[in-house]
Amino acid sequence: MPRLERSQWYDLARDMNWRLRYVDHDQFFPRELSDDMGIPAEAWWRSWDEPYKITYREYVHNQVDKDTGVYSVNAALARSRMFERLAPAWRSAVVAHYGAVVQAEYLAAMAEARMGRFGRAAAWRNMATLGTMDEVRHTQVQTHFAHGLLEREPRADWAHKSFHTNEWAVIAARGLYDDMFSGNDAVSTALQLTFTFETGFTNIQFLGLAADAIHVGDVDFGSLISSIQTDEARHAQQGEPTLRVLIENGRKEEAQRQIDHMFWRTWRVFGLLTGISMDYYTPLEHRSMSFKEFMEEWIIKQFRDQFRDFGLELPWYWRQFVDELDWYHHAIQIGIWFYRPTVWWNPGAGVAPAEREWLEQKYPGWSATFGATWDVIAENVRQGRLERTYPETLPVICNLCQLPIVAPAGHLSGHLASPEPLLLDHGGRRYTFCSEPCRWIFESNPERFAGHLSIVDRLLGGEIQPATIEGVLAYMGLSPTEVGDDADGYAWAANGGREG
Amino acid sequence: MATLPLQAVFEGDLAVLLVPVDDGDAMSAVAEKVAHHVADRRVPAQDRPLVVTFKGSQLPDDVTATAAGIGPMDVIRVGYR
Repeated sequence: MPRLERSQWYDLARDMNWRLRYVDHDQFFPRELSDDMGIPAEAWWRSWDEPYKITYREYVHNQVDKDTGVYSVNAALARSRMFERLAPAWRSAVVAHYGAVVQAEYLAAMAEARMGRFGRAAAWRNMATLGTMDEVRHTQVQTHFAHGLLEREPRADWAHKSFHTNEWAVIAARGLYDDMFSGNDAVSTALQLTFTFETGFTNIQFLGLAADAIHVGDVDFGSLISSIQTDEARHAQQGEPTLRVLIENGRKEEAQRQIDHMFWRTWRVFGLLTGISMDYYTPLEHRSMSFKEFMEEWIIKQFRDQFRDFGLELPWYWRQFVDELDWYHHAIQIGIWFYRPTVWWNPGAGVAPAEREWLEQKYPGWSATFGATWDVIAENVRQGRLERTYPETLPVICNLCQLPIVAPAGHLSGHLASPEPLLLDHGGRRYTFCSEPCRWIFESNPERFAGHLSIVDRLLGGEIQPATIEGVLAYMGLSPTEVGDDADGYAWAANGGREG
Repeated sequence: MATLPLQAVFEGDLAVLLVPVDDGDAMSAVAEKVAHHVADRRVPAQDRPLVVTFKGSQLPDDVTATAAGIGPMDVIRVGYR
């Protein structure tokens, strides 16, 4: 077997393209699977250049090392009582993560495979093939880790179960991922999944999450997330060269629109999952920074630099996005806690006296708005009126992001002029939106979103029977033993709840 | 009388709620049905009368939802006078 130097064969192998003779180009690259945006095939092939290059042999070598390391840690800790000793709210964050993320990784494998087949450049298809294997690995390793928790936490089963249910947060997650990659062409997927979602948010989030896990003593989860992050950092780099090709060929405006679209959708889910995990579920003594500080220091700075480097404008709603860092996830936190029977994990309240002091320090004005709401809830807990801490109806859900509409919280905290949702009558149906950007995304391509039914639409349409909270929970696939309850047994309220 | 689903914003609350009322309900009843989900649950109850606001106008207590022109999934606001 000839042993050539890497430099002698690498570029030929990674960027081997071919001219089509038996089918025409449009048959080979159907537009719905790979929208070339009018850019000639030659321009894609000649210009697309990934910043990080790796051979298949090197890839396999690295992945074997990673798998050996992460599975060894998992095996070594399997008989320990480490998980049971973790703070209850942190355990909830882990269980929430598995349910929200694991099946999405498998969908992402299909997205990578689509780019591996329909990417417009040979080097891109090469990189996406490795990305496909990354995402399969992420599905498998996280399923394995979650499976190992089953004896201690049966709801780790939601790592596999969640995406086969109609639980409300899962509907929102599926809606996001369908828009971003399951129902997206290869070029748009590179912009929206790899450039916006992975480079912009999850790559950095996974770095922070891994560090937090190690801080709280969750070595198992920390090693898992670290291992995944190294793959993300590599395959996320499909976004930049794709964006560069579009800009060089006069398609900046379309690229900007797609990024603006997905940045907002990603922010919404990020605010929910990461916002509450950092500011409420992570034990106070292990918080190195608030969610807002993390966003400002890492996400915002990186995006500003990227937008500047590519000559892109900041998204038109940038000011609103930055403004929401002060209030959005606090409202979502109260909503998730109040609607705790509708999630598969035990939400931590995270509002014991010392935690409230920290929240007020990090978010001046928190006590007067969100703290005041927690006062009423805590008093009901102390007085044994738990029935008043459970919902008897649904919140209205945004017809784009599929998340509860908390605009009243934005108004209450002085950030929005009106507490009312935004309405749109389209095709004989009324749609409700949480925000201008969500309405803008819908109106930019109504036929893409108009047919989807939110959980509220399904309730009103008679799809959920009986039309009660119990009927809704059954529809969501939550059995009585799976529904969430307060992570800390309401200790936070018994200790005072109120400031000081 | 038919069920009329509304989107309700209660003053001081954090979310928009789905609240089914009857189209023949007077505004006083509509306000009570909304308050049931919020007052003393997330917002302190007050010993003051409630008022419904629709499209920027406060509605009289005795006007019905139908007479007020409130349709399915319209947005109303409820607060204390």
